[in-house]
Amino acid sequence: MGVPNASEDLSSEMEVDAFRQLFPLRFFERHLAESIRPDGAVASANGSALVKIGSTTMLTAIKMEVMTPSFESPDEGCLAIDFHMPPICSPIVRPGRPAEASPVVSKQLSDTISSSRMIDLKELSLVSGKAAWMAYLDVYCLDADGALFDTALLSAVAALSHLQFPAVAMNDDGKIVLVSDEDGQKRAQEPVNKEKRKLTLKSIPFSLTCILHKNYILADPTAEEESIMETHVTIVLDTSGQLISLYKPGGPVLAYTSAIQDCVAITRQRVKELKSFLDNENSAMEV
Amino acid sequence: MEYVSPEGLRLDGRRPMEMRQIRAEIGAVSKADGSAIFEMGNTKVIAAVYGPREVQNRSQQISSHALVRCEYSMANFSAGDRMRKPKGDRRSTEISLVIRQTMEACILTHLLPRSQIDIYVQVLQADGGTRSACINAATLALADAGIPMRDLVTSCSAGYLNSTPLLDLNYGEDSAGGPDVTLGILPKLDKVTLLQMDSKLPIDLLENVMQLAIEGCKAIANYIREILLENTNQLEYRRGV
Repeated sequence: MGVPNASEDLSSEMEVDAFRQLFPLRFFERHLAESIRPDGAVASANGSALVKIGSTTMLTAIKMEVMTPSFESPDEGCLAIDFHMPPICSPIVRPGRPAEASPVVSKQLSDTISSSRMIDLKELSLVSGKAAWMAYLDVYCLDADGALFDTALLSAVAALSHLQFPAVAMNDDGKIVLVSDEDGQKRAQEPVNKEKRKLTLKSIPFSLTCILHKNYILADPTAEEESIMETHVTIVLDTSGQLISLYKPGGPVLAYTSAIQDCVAITRQRVKELKSFLDNENSAMEV
Repeated sequence: MEYVSPEGLRLDGRRPMEMRQIRAEIGAVSKADGSAIFEMGNTKVIAAVYGPREVQNRSQQISSHALVRCEYSMANFSAGDRMRKPKGDRRSTEISLVIRQTMEACILTHLLPRSQIDIYVQVLQADGGTRSACINAATLALADAGIPMRDLVTSCSAGYLNSTPLLDLNYGEDSAGGPDVTLGILPKLDKVTLLQMDSKLPIDLLENVMQLAIEGCKAIANYIREILLENTNQLEYRRGV
């Protein structure tokens, strides 16, 4: 990176505010390149997205299947989120020995998406009590270079915004079947989702991971930085500015509330950037 | 079911001797020592090579050669229906073994004793010919990692349906029940390293179908050489040579 490490000349007693004002570049984007490809990165899936923040790459694909809804919630479908770290993504992942981060990020992702109430599971219903959509969202990490949760969340959100429901109809046995493009089947019933083929996303969550080190805050760390400095804070905000989740799993640095508030402030800016980025990509796709 | 129309066109509009479009990219995974993405039509595969590095399991270390390991896995969403068990099932284990033995034959393992070379292949989209795409991607990834090899290994499949030899089968043609010949060769040395065949094929036709597959492999080898050359030019340019 071209930015010189001038901050090391200064005393380590410097306030976080001063640091932020003097070295805004180090405070914000660590990575020069960002790209999202919510343009059908996977052709065989119902929704997919390939997201790269710096070198960290995540490929998400959503596959829909029809299932019978549970007894307690006959009007709701289901969204199953799974995060995978295959051995290609990092030298520390070995086959047969899943990475430590894998189930952690997986759980964080499911929790964040369900608590953000981005998706109304009722939209996944087909026939009340009889049939509903089961959406399997699989996030594959293709290159693990830090800030895994941020990139995973962004790619899950991008894939959900790209998701298109397959067309279905009920056949004579009362079972739901997929309808192919050719008109080969009698349509006894047109389900509701025939008109509304995309999911409505309410408030979309975006996140930012920061590392706390002495009095510094490093936003969007790379894997190398994460391995050296262990205290990280992940903040998830939604587009309306509400705090959805705050995650600081221990670490050697004890943070003052001011540091956490600074992290929230940077995250707020990040949310604006990511939102406009996602909107641009989505509208570019529709063209 | 007609796989070759009377005009000589296949299900996807190709001619019997026509391969699908190939596309390759080197260096897709920054964390890996070598990596590549290889696409053959709709089949898309990503390979990453880590090595040579220290052997993780000391008891498996070989004092005169490098240890080559390979893992093949398919993403949950890669095939038509979502897969429950993408690796560890019999097919994946078999293909992992096949790829490992194929690549091991061409890596100069005696030059890297007491080390380990890991080849990981992940199928992102499967539309027939995943084995071949994996081998081609692994070759590129090994070259990107700078691992010494005797020659490139390229692979292609061929079959025989409706009395016509077909090159590079896609999933529809592969599941038609006809013979499926997968071939892996060292193009410069003109040696066959992998040959697998399913179903039944009259022995006098085997020669034909194999020859067709060899042509396919040679075409892929030419493409791979172009990609590697282009990559080297890029590296030179970045170094300011």
